[in-house]
Amino acid sequence: MSASEIVPALVAAGSRARRPGLGSAFGWELSKLWKQKRAKITLAFAAVAPVLIVLIVKSQQRPPKDSLFGRFIHESGWSVPLLILGFAAQWVLPLLTALVAGDIFAGENQMGTWKTLLTRSVSRTQIFWAKTITAVLFALGVLLLLSVSTILSSIILIGHQPLVGLTGQVIPSYTAALLVSASWATAIPPLLAFTCLAILLSVLSGNPSFAIAGPVVIGMVMQLGGSLGGVEALRPFLLTTPFEAWHGLIVQDRFYGPLEYGLIGSMVWCVGSLTWAYVAIRRRDVTGG
Amino acid sequence: MPVAEVLAVDAVGVTKRYGDLVAVNGISIQVEQGEVYGVLGPNGAGKTTFMRMLFGLIRPDAGEIRLFGRTWEKDGTRVLDDVAGFVETPRFYPYLTGRENLVGLARLDGGGSANRIDDVLDIVDLAARADDKTREYSYGMRQRLGVAASLIRHPRLLVVDEPANGLDPAGIRDMRALIKRLADSGLTVLLSSHDMIEVEEICDNVTIMRKGDVVFHGSIAELREQAPEQGHRVSTDDDERAIAIGRDFEQLVVGRVDEGGLSVVGAQDEVDRLVKTFVDQGLALRALENTETPLQTLFFMLTERDHHDSELAAAVGG
Repeated sequence: MSASEIVPALVAAGSRARRPGLGSAFGWELSKLWKQKRAKITLAFAAVAPVLIVLIVKSQQRPPKDSLFGRFIHESGWSVPLLILGFAAQWVLPLLTALVAGDIFAGENQMGTWKTLLTRSVSRTQIFWAKTITAVLFALGVLLLLSVSTILSSIILIGHQPLVGLTGQVIPSYTAALLVSASWATAIPPLLAFTCLAILLSVLSGNPSFAIAGPVVIGMVMQLGGSLGGVEALRPFLLTTPFEAWHGLIVQDRFYGPLEYGLIGSMVWCVGSLTWAYVAIRRRDVTGG
Repeated sequence: MPVAEVLAVDAVGVTKRYGDLVAVNGISIQVEQGEVYGVLGPNGAGKTTFMRMLFGLIRPDAGEIRLFGRTWEKDGTRVLDDVAGFVETPRFYPYLTGRENLVGLARLDGGGSANRIDDVLDIVDLAARADDKTREYSYGMRQRLGVAASLIRHPRLLVVDEPANGLDPAGIRDMRALIKRLADSGLTVLLSSHDMIEVEEICDNVTIMRKGDVVFHGSIAELREQAPEQGHRVSTDDDERAIAIGRDFEQLVVGRVDEGGLSVVGAQDEVDRLVKTFVDQGLALRALENTETPLQTLFFMLTERDHHDSELAAAVGG
């Protein structure tokens, strides 16, 4: 078929068969994400880095006794995932989620593709939620990979001996498996809060570098602030506090208050950040990008 | 109102301000279905701002825009159901191939047009490079991919902003030929440009803008009627004497040009007569060339005139 035949045929064609929904926008975001090296490298890091860390930890003659569970790393494979969780919560998890969430909106500014998206048949609302869901799923995927890789490599390389808890109690291996998994799961609310914060910075700044580094820096400042005296009233609302809530699970008499406060605090951060970001996207004049 | 009678574009009293700057000042543009319409103006005239408002990328501060009878306020993104195009340079995801970009964009249109991708790649002559990453595309290829991305929406109205901007002469020729071919097929085209020749070549009707205001609105034929005579630049071996001779030709305006030579404006047969007279009187003719076309001259007069000089605008209904 020659071009002169194709053009009239295209013009004469009927309306689109169906209107795009959130699923169409989400599918497009997922396929774009899958094509980005940054996302693949992050996922690969989450899968491989724990194995390397466990290997290094295992080879160390002197365990890091100053770190939580550091003194037990050669005695139980269940202690290593908790050691890594404590370390990862400081800046690794905020960074890994921000690598995608910080870029997912600002990247459109950087590439100038907002107008490419917004001149199609999807609404700003659909694009916003498609991107948000993609970032959230990516964050959960990274956490899942990191935790599974950490736990499996620890058990395989070190063993599944009983775990010594924070109050000195001995936790049988089966119970330790549940508690270690639950401890990693408690990182979900603050991780999602950091994801939403990165989304907000991504929307407001339009600068991927700023939006990726921002949550990490904010997390560090919060950690520093949380360690100071006189800020007890603020601590439940700091994004970093819920990352420590799992401590209540590894004691003789378990307590869940920090988990509940952490859940509420993280929700406040998520709802606040997403509401602000959504309003900004809806109202934005797209000129340059 | 029957569907065929609905205006493709019906913009009434559209205004956009950025602080104290009025980027678009209450302009009204009506484009009928099947028409090829040009919005012409120099940089900063407000053309792109108007195009952005058509696509809902920015909101007007006043006025209303209807596309095939639909408005952003009432119909949301359905307003773009029969509309496609691009504002400024089309942008794509550099880590995706041309085809992958089109597949994704088709998905954002509901997915029904994905089976046309090969056809539109043929139309814009990108089939051979469809599987290359768009970061490797030249400027002209991205422009053509922008047209392809528009065509997969099978629009009734194609809106293109400065489609030949940044292209080399061959690219400009190809892009104009493509738009003409699309227009000839019955597609309504709204084209913005700063190039009078481009608009004259492609469009039926035109709105000329200057600093947010409309200074001319009408058909290309009406514009031609308002245009001055063709200008010429003439160089002889004795320009002083040539000017003296030119004074005897009352229907010609003959003046000196700063860069050297003479400027001669008037009907072609009078210019021919002047040149013969030069030769008859022993002047050696060193150069005779057209300056800008009459429409270009009119365009510059309309868009570069001083604020206080409104005579011409009044004369042409601006």
